[in-house]
Amino acid sequence: MRAKDRERVLAEVIQRVISRAGATPQQLEQALFDTLYDERRRLEVERHRSPARRELSFYDQLQTRALKAGPDEQRDILREVVGRFAAEVAGHFDERIYHLTTKVVPPALTLLFNAVSPLKLLQQIPSGLSRLDDQLEISGETGALKRAVAQGTVVLVPTHASHMDSILVGYMLYRLGLPPFVYGAGLNLFHNRLVGFFMHNLGAYKVDRKKKAAIYKEVLKTYAGVSIELGYHNLFFPGGTRSRSGAVENRLKLGLLGMGLDAYVRSLRAGSQRPDVFVVPCTINYQLVLEAETLIDDHLKEVGKSRYIIEDDEFSRPRRVFEFVSRLFDLQSRIHIRVSRPLDPFGNQVDEQGRSLDARGRAVDRRRYVLAGEEPGFDAQRDQEYTRELARAIVESYRRDTVFGSVHLVAWVVFHWLQERNCGLDLYRLLRTGGAEASMPLLEAYRRIEHVREAMRREEAAGRMRLDATLRDGDSVQVLADALAHLRVFHVNPALERRGDRLLHIDRNLLLYYQNRLADRGLPAEGVPA
Amino acid sequence: MTRDSLDALVVGGGAFGTALASQLSRLGRRTLLWVRRPEQAEEINQRHTNQRYLPGCALPEALRATNDLAAAVHGAPLLLVAVPSREFRGVAKLLGDCVEGDHLLVHVAKGIERGSFKRMSQVLREETCALKIGVLSGPNLAPELMAGHPAGAQVASRFREVVQRTQALFAGGRLRVYGGADVVGTEVGGAFKNIIALAGGVADGMGFGDNTKSLLVTRGLGEMARYGVAVGADVFTFGGLAGIGDLMATCASALSRNHQVGERLGRGEALDAILASMPHVVEGVTTTQAVHPQALAMKLALPIVGAVHGMLFEGWSPRDAVERLMALPVGDELFSLRYR
Repeated sequence: MRAKDRERVLAEVIQRVISRAGATPQQLEQALFDTLYDERRRLEVERHRSPARRELSFYDQLQTRALKAGPDEQRDILREVVGRFAAEVAGHFDERIYHLTTKVVPPALTLLFNAVSPLKLLQQIPSGLSRLDDQLEISGETGALKRAVAQGTVVLVPTHASHMDSILVGYMLYRLGLPPFVYGAGLNLFHNRLVGFFMHNLGAYKVDRKKKAAIYKEVLKTYAGVSIELGYHNLFFPGGTRSRSGAVENRLKLGLLGMGLDAYVRSLRAGSQRPDVFVVPCTINYQLVLEAETLIDDHLKEVGKSRYIIEDDEFSRPRRVFEFVSRLFDLQSRIHIRVSRPLDPFGNQVDEQGRSLDARGRAVDRRRYVLAGEEPGFDAQRDQEYTRELARAIVESYRRDTVFGSVHLVAWVVFHWLQERNCGLDLYRLLRTGGAEASMPLLEAYRRIEHVREAMRREEAAGRMRLDATLRDGDSVQVLADALAHLRVFHVNPALERRGDRLLHIDRNLLLYYQNRLADRGLPAEGVPA
Repeated sequence: MTRDSLDALVVGGGAFGTALASQLSRLGRRTLLWVRRPEQAEEINQRHTNQRYLPGCALPEALRATNDLAAAVHGAPLLLVAVPSREFRGVAKLLGDCVEGDHLLVHVAKGIERGSFKRMSQVLREETCALKIGVLSGPNLAPELMAGHPAGAQVASRFREVVQRTQALFAGGRLRVYGGADVVGTEVGGAFKNIIALAGGVADGMGFGDNTKSLLVTRGLGEMARYGVAVGADVFTFGGLAGIGDLMATCASALSRNHQVGERLGRGEALDAILASMPHVVEGVTTTQAVHPQALAMKLALPIVGAVHGMLFEGWSPRDAVERLMALPVGDELFSLRYR
């Protein structure tokens, strides 16, 4: 965020959050003491660190003051806390660094991908960059994304599988000639100094997921909303966190997503010249995911109750990042980013002129959705439902524009064969023991691969999914070979290995993770007659 | 005409649409009734009758009808869409040309689209730009509404504004409108009960008594809930006006068209002859055509639906159907609902 806007945004965030949280003296008191409680509890756990001790002492003093304070002083204290949160979120901005970094994005990205030896790798920037260019395939409605950026404010909403996503999206924006987008990145990403430096200066703001106070979440949401209102393009991961199971997101977090609509209504009410907000879904598709082992492990440990913050995964180990990237380069494995058609905040598709269209392609006056009488207005319940409609449209876009590769198909085939052969064995036991048979006959695998691939081709022809070149054009032998090459190259244990005319399943958790991407697609799970 | 020139537009001049429009008109609401045929509009405006659908009923003099859909839609903030499911998509397409984002659409159709298995709210969503969509359903036999008998219904929408505006519209009248948010359950209840009403009619036609009727209604309610839950409904909805309430009225009343068809089938008449003799759409027939194959595809056990389908489309005699149902194994009564 530019320096000239920063102070304005901070003031606006503080004012809006306080007015929402403290509509009555009782609500204000409750919000204040809840926040102080949540923060002091968080800091108690971290008190072995000296910054945490300092912060704890600050909140202890506020608590003492708040207990004696009347409504006006309590409002001042809450304002102080909210101001502190807001300043921390917005970070410190240096315009010179901003200009510098936008000029050096490509080398910076190569650096990020090769974070082991920056000095050595700086010498390789030209070749490293061209390799990245070759292997990152950007497709879909890129022209529509550019037009949307020109016509209004864009909220880009990608799928989220890896911490590499935000870096790749940043690179995509650079390659498309678009400005950096404002992006809420987890505090853990800033711990890596190099990554943190560029994140910070390319539009990222800090999200501390350890802060549980409801008012902190309000600050984050409001910050995003105000930035959209000021015309800053935003990047949200609407799944909220990286997909733990490997499946493509089908349930989205509505809170942050709704800020696009909030900004749209506010801009209309303010008579803004450029009130339009466009939401652009995109899918990021890897054959291999850097953090797959940690993510599926987390998913299995606490299905439905993910740890949320994983600070010790593969992304935090530069050598693993380097190995991952260089091996993907060696395999000439492509990463696909597919941009979907822009949507309005109500989930309608948007055409080239920026007009909203209904499901039959008729132009819609989107302003009318938010009319309260003759003027645009808010209605919290209505707007939540509109955001649900938007989420539904995003999920549909994800389904249409997910690109599948050989790894997903082969994992699907082997995993379903395993389940079929071990009928009645519960999932966890199957994953742990592998069931009765340690390997699958190769011919059976080829037959099933061909069968499922035909179904996938039909789905692609109907516009319901996308296949990469190997899946589209290769035969089952090539598909299996490609998948095996990927699965043995990076993960600690290969998920699958060929031994003679058998396929040995080694890491079944990984098979589960990669096949989950194909879940709910109605693909055949059973075998085919020989 | 501006958007608030009217309180409501009722789209569709069949028995139920006319009854609803009459209710509103009697309450002093500025109501317009859209009908397709100009001569029907003229009959309602000049003679205050709708002889084809409500023979012998006098309509309120204040009730106006039109066949200019675009102008009528433009002037109304809330539309009550009262069109049979068979014609619903066609009318929804017409509405799609004139509805705007601020319109509230509440449909009262009790059916499921054949072939696509879609509910009418889904059809409205596909064919119009409207998002604020709801459904009004319950035990509301048109002749009784016209006679001013007290009645109740449920309006369900995910948009509270739709629920509140619809309730306000009917407030103070003889139709008590309760609110809800389960659109799927309310639509399924309204459509599904027609199938059970056909079965109930068959039982009456065959001369069976109240024990049989009660068995059919209760097990039919179970099938309704099983199907509803499978397509995303809240099971509690089926205990309300849109579920058991509508089912009781339809199965018990001689005024129900579905019941009448079932009764004549039970007496041995052929379906084609029965349908040819009726001026109204019989929703239970099309709903059976929609639900039965869907239930098979979803591997749902719905034996009464299967039996009705057998009688309507597979040449089963009513006696065959009864024998097949009675031969089914019995298990724990609430198994399929309790162990979801």
